[in-house]
Amino acid sequence: MRPKVLWAITLNTFRETLRDKLLYSLVGFAVLVIAASLLAGSVSLGQDARVIQDFSLTAMLVFLLIITYFIGTQLVFKEVERKTIYLVLSKPVSRETFYLGKFLGLCLTILVAGLIMATMFVAVLAIKTHQVPVAAYFAVGAVILEAWLLTAVSLLFSSFTSPLSSAIYTFGVTLIGHGSATIWLLSQKASPVVRGILEGVYYVFPNLEKFNLRNDVVFNLAPDITQVVWILLYFVGYTAFLLILGMSAFRKDEF
Amino acid sequence: MSSRGGLGTRNWGLDSLRKLTIIWVVVFLGLSFVAQINYDAWRRYSPPKLIGVDYNIYIEPQPLSPPLAKAISFGSTEFLADYYWLTLIQYYGGGTPNGKYRKLAELFNVVTDLSPKFLQAYQTGLIILPGEGFPDQAIQLGEKGKQNLPDSWEMPYYTGLVYHIYKKDFVSAAKEFQIAATKKDAPPITQYFAGIYYKEADQRQLAYQIFKTVHDTTKDDFVRERSGKQLLHMEMIFFLEDAVDKYHQQFSRYPTSPLDLVTKGIIKELPTSPLGISFVIDPQSGQVKDSK
Repeated sequence: MRPKVLWAITLNTFRETLRDKLLYSLVGFAVLVIAASLLAGSVSLGQDARVIQDFSLTAMLVFLLIITYFIGTQLVFKEVERKTIYLVLSKPVSRETFYLGKFLGLCLTILVAGLIMATMFVAVLAIKTHQVPVAAYFAVGAVILEAWLLTAVSLLFSSFTSPLSSAIYTFGVTLIGHGSATIWLLSQKASPVVRGILEGVYYVFPNLEKFNLRNDVVFNLAPDITQVVWILLYFVGYTAFLLILGMSAFRKDEF
Repeated sequence: MSSRGGLGTRNWGLDSLRKLTIIWVVVFLGLSFVAQINYDAWRRYSPPKLIGVDYNIYIEPQPLSPPLAKAISFGSTEFLADYYWLTLIQYYGGGTPNGKYRKLAELFNVVTDLSPKFLQAYQTGLIILPGEGFPDQAIQLGEKGKQNLPDSWEMPYYTGLVYHIYKKDFVSAAKEFQIAATKKDAPPITQYFAGIYYKEADQRQLAYQIFKTVHDTTKDDFVRERSGKQLLHMEMIFFLEDAVDKYHQQFSRYPTSPLDLVTKGIIKELPTSPLGISFVIDPQSGQVKDSK
């Protein structure tokens, strides 16, 4: 895997996603929703900061995930459909490099989109409340990490199924990942067999609640260093697992 | 759709539709607006019989049960709490054409279950709920608030007010105020209020002790002055009750007024309360009380 080639595919993927009008409409709509949280805050009996933070962070997450679902699942599919993948793979480019480049390219897109939304969020919060809690920055970072992890999920699914199915499966993984606390609670009350199954689900599916620092922002509870380290390690471990799985599936694909 | 399509030469009026697009957009938007406001009026003011159910159901929120709301929030519990908080404000601010805000307590419950540390929600609930006919639910909310916000003086303080104003349970009110007084940042007057409530509940020795503690420990001048006056006032009550006992020993009956104690030579003169309150004596029990 040559870094230069990887970077070229990453940048190319990034440029390709920038040409997608869907991206602009999603980012535009997210920015609108964040701005609209000012209105919601104004009818909240003095809870402006709280409403702006909760609404904006949730909007950020939702729109970044939509970008992941609808753009991420299309990336490889489009290359195969347009047959441009043959052009790339006929060069000295390994399938792994191509796959990883696609992932990093979309991560870059998500980062840029996330930063645009975060800028709007911080601006709205600063204008209204004249202060931005430190916890908000951590929450924004965690939202972006979650979107990156789900990008790896969507890419994995898109390596062996259609974009629509891939989007649906990724959405399903999102729901399971955020319902992990409920799954754990259920497992503790279930019979031994069901408990084993549910605990398996709990550990195998991504635990997206680890990236949920949004609820702490209203109380300005910034995570401590240990929590941040564990979140990052979990992200690296799980994303690497998904990428390796995805690359191995992509290696065996026949176009 | 072309006017020269397979349907002959008739253009079905679509050419004019195309030319007057803006007008049609405005017309149909206006139509939807009229329909919307009429629908809302029907929903809000139609008599119950017309639609077969208690029509309040159409305008009052239907919050999910807290466990279900938590499950479907998929981690965004604070966001969902905010949604219900805004719903609650709209519901309460919008008025109810059918009497009671039946969903008010339920909404406060779901908001504070989703966001257990949402101080403002507890405070608002403790202020609003009792007045709308939910004093018991307000006390439950206060109990939940005390558990979830153990450092907050506001939770026991506001719960105590509910006991006082809506339940007339002065002992419980006093206990709540005593708890509130132990919290950081509690107003200096909190423990003073506990004394007042014990006094109202006829627990005079307890009230006296609280006023004494407040007087000896507070750093607030106003509170020290008020508690000093309360102490003097209570000492006068104790003094008069001693005199009433002597009167009873001598005459085998209780005096009908404090002045009897002076005219019969038990005391030289009537004490004057620093609170400006005069005293009365219950001729049946001989108890000295404040005149109302």
